[in-house]
Amino acid sequence: MNVRIGPVGPRGLALLGVTAVVGVVLANHGWSTYHGTTPGSLAGGPTAQVASTPAARPAAADHSHSAQPSSGPSGSASSPGPLLSSEPYAQYAVQVWPGPQTTAAQAALTGLTVKVRSVAGGLSVTAGVNGQPAAAPHLYPGGVRVYVVEATMGDDSGASDYNLGDDGLVVTDARGRILQ
Amino acid sequence: MTARRDPPADRRPAAARSATRTDSPQTPARGRVLRLGERLADLAATWGTTTGRVLLGLVLAWFGYHELIQPALWTGYVPGVHAASATAIALVLAHGWVLLLLAVALIAGIAPRAAAGLAALLLAQIVIWLWASAGLSDLTLRDVGVLGLALCITSRTEQRFALRN
Repeated sequence: MNVRIGPVGPRGLALLGVTAVVGVVLANHGWSTYHGTTPGSLAGGPTAQVASTPAARPAAADHSHSAQPSSGPSGSASSPGPLLSSEPYAQYAVQVWPGPQTTAAQAALTGLTVKVRSVAGGLSVTAGVNGQPAAAPHLYPGGVRVYVVEATMGDDSGASDYNLGDDGLVVTDARGRILQ
Repeated sequence: MTARRDPPADRRPAAARSATRTDSPQTPARGRVLRLGERLADLAATWGTTTGRVLLGLVLAWFGYHELIQPALWTGYVPGVHAASATAIALVLAHGWVLLLLAVALIAGIAPRAAAGLAALLLAQIVIWLWASAGLSDLTLRDVGVLGLALCITSRTEQRFALRN
């Protein structure tokens, strides 16, 4: 087959064919990861779902002691886990509560909405993605600290975070231990 | 694989070209620097397009692979569709599949100008969408640079290491 922009021989067509098949296989795998919600996204999921995404660059993915609640969308925190500072993704964690919003915190919150409110018995933490329905709030005991994990700012633009795979939300107790 | 190079006006090595110059006296050190510079220029002229083509292919391969493996992480880029919808997932998968094909075509040199042209169209769409949705930002301008690379490759008729008949 010859086109004006250059010839494509049988070897080229064969290579493209193999690539197309591999692409379909990969796409099938990717489709199988879709379960009606956005994995790794704050959209419509529990507060700290991003912290457990398999793609979270700062290794939040493989860690079971994220701030992911164990009892569903409006569950409350249970026993504390390891120190956040001992986690490999600690270097990417930016504290957003309590305290004044630093420039780093504002940058890490790009595209995300994190609300912390005082309620009876503790704090209510709600996280979501801008432009999407907020997740159900989660209750934590008083004195907790809320961190946003943002591995790279390269996917943030304006008020949008286009790739939530490198984002996470971590809640720790006052001693810095991650709450489950 | 065939290897062709751009037809330069003077095919002699840079050192030979430099040695025949009689325009001005040069110190040995300056002459060495000039010869080195000409060699580097030759190298860039010979391999620049191929290097750019392969690197652009690697970029597309990286994004295509990850869009296929974890499409849900990329649905935020799909314009006009809810990020959590099945439509967004399907569009990301289709986009990733096309990127993977273009990546292989660019790296292997299969109709490289056509592949680069299609990549330029995809990148133009991405740039326009990012610009429209979030204005000019570092993210948008980064993609503008990649778009420029794709356009540059599209315009080059001579390609080294291109898979042909």
